[in-house]
Amino acid sequence: MLKILVCVKQIPDVDLVKMDPETGNLVRAGVPTLTNPLDLNALEAAVRVKEQYGGEVTLITMGPPMAESTLRECLAVGGDDAILISGRPFGGADTLSTSYSIVKAADMKGKFDLIFCGKESLDGATGQMASQLAERFDASQISCCYSIERIADGRIRAVRALEDGKETVEATLPCLLTVEKDNFYGRLPNLKAYLDAKSAPITTYTENDIDGLDLNKIGVPGSGTIVPKIYPPELPEPGQIISTGSAKSDARRLVEILAEKGSI
Amino acid sequence: MQKSDYKNMWVYIEHDGKTAAPVGLELCCELRKLCDTTGDKLYAVILGDLPHEECDKVRECGVDGIIYVSGTGYDYFNTDAYANAFTVLSKKYNPSAIFVGGTINGRDFAPRFAVQLDTGCTSDAMELEYDPETGDIQFIEPAVGGKIMAVITVPVLRPQVGTIRPGTFKYAPTGRKAEIDVICEEINFDPEAIRCKHIDFTPDDIDPELDIANADCIVCVGNGLKDSEHLERYRELARLLGGKIGCTRPLFDRGILPYKLQIGQSGVMVKTKLYISFGVSGAVNHTAGVDADLFIAVDKNPEAQIFNYCDYGIVGDMDQVCDEMIEQLKARQK
Repeated sequence: MLKILVCVKQIPDVDLVKMDPETGNLVRAGVPTLTNPLDLNALEAAVRVKEQYGGEVTLITMGPPMAESTLRECLAVGGDDAILISGRPFGGADTLSTSYSIVKAADMKGKFDLIFCGKESLDGATGQMASQLAERFDASQISCCYSIERIADGRIRAVRALEDGKETVEATLPCLLTVEKDNFYGRLPNLKAYLDAKSAPITTYTENDIDGLDLNKIGVPGSGTIVPKIYPPELPEPGQIISTGSAKSDARRLVEILAEKGSI
Repeated sequence: MQKSDYKNMWVYIEHDGKTAAPVGLELCCELRKLCDTTGDKLYAVILGDLPHEECDKVRECGVDGIIYVSGTGYDYFNTDAYANAFTVLSKKYNPSAIFVGGTINGRDFAPRFAVQLDTGCTSDAMELEYDPETGDIQFIEPAVGGKIMAVITVPVLRPQVGTIRPGTFKYAPTGRKAEIDVICEEINFDPEAIRCKHIDFTPDDIDPELDIANADCIVCVGNGLKDSEHLERYRELARLLGGKIGCTRPLFDRGILPYKLQIGQSGVMVKTKLYISFGVSGAVNHTAGVDADLFIAVDKNPEAQIFNYCDYGIVGDMDQVCDEMIEQLKARQK
């Protein structure tokens, strides 16, 4: 039976995050959260593997207690159990320390054969987590997986989507995959699964619950990068607004401009 | 070791055995400028065999040295051998920074050797600056969907690792140095130990409609689009203008248009004569990917950031303006 891990993340709706013009801080208060969309494609891939080959899907995330809602959403889709890593010392982590924390916590549940991740998160968008997790899991990695051809004899054969074509690769287990969404659109949970997930047990680990966790390697102390400054993008001077309120006359003016400029 | 003990900056030259990918050359050109500021030497790192004339292109970018790595394991890209090579090299030479093009494979292996070296890794910087007080590179990049710019540094650890998207920096070679330090290293990675092996490669069919990087005209549709049924008029407008259709990230996320049409830092960087956006808000991640001689924006929100990037803007209903433009253009063609 395959032991499958899916890494998910709860993110703020980035469209609604604003920057306080006075303090320069990001205002996240009251901003709704969602499950990182690409993680749902990873979950879909994992659930399909489980359906075809048999196995057990464990979900893992790191975040504040409210991240539990993301785990429940994923449990409803197809997870068997779930781990939440939560505690102040984990906060402010970059990918170097987050990948360390996740692997140490996952190790508490034994060794996984397959690890699935979304390609990147919409908020941090570094796209680095998967490779760093793979290194720490001492796993092979198949990034940008377009389709999974077969899993047998401790190996997985899959197709990667590269810039200009498709590459077939074969990797040994344990293997970490990041998933393209094209062939792994997420399914919706049925009502029973949704209700079951509401009361499903979730394992919560604080920094005190994880064996052998080096507190210097988590959160801010364990991070390789810092963000010393954020600022609003410098905007160029606005262009000339030619609208009059009538689409017809605006379009006419625009076509005239295109003609003047030699574009048509 | 102190971080001041780490010197020189490296650029990974991605190649397919025949030609060097543009991004490595772009990075050499940009880092030439940075190294002139910091006093570091700029080294290009080439794994496996690359023809002489391609190596000459690297020399023309003003590098101070080239590290050629030979040995087993580099015939085809694989995470294990490539990450290992950089870990071995970095431990031997202690560079201050390593830059890798943010291609699919570059983004695959660079974060991995960063963990092997236990150091910080950044991705997608759009500007690189040097802070002489700390000796750190400032990786400046858009964050939170392009609403803010973030300065990211690696304040303690070395090397500073960064992946940079293709097209971010200009290829503007400054010419070769009189003396170029040539280092040859043999690092063998047992092919049997490669855990993810290349089996075969099938190139994608070439669809001209999906090749928009150098299209003369691009009609770009953004998240203002109601649904895919409203898309046809924009295709028609693009046809009338002799152009192609492109989109912003939300339209790809919504499954309306394919990734190859996504314009911006994380998609295609376009260079075009005429660019007309409809319902595009103007996040930095998108506008960073647009180099247009004439930039026109149509959006219903008068506050939209896109109007800061356009030459001419129309505040109005995108579908109506598009329909009227189609009428006008058809009338002219009669």
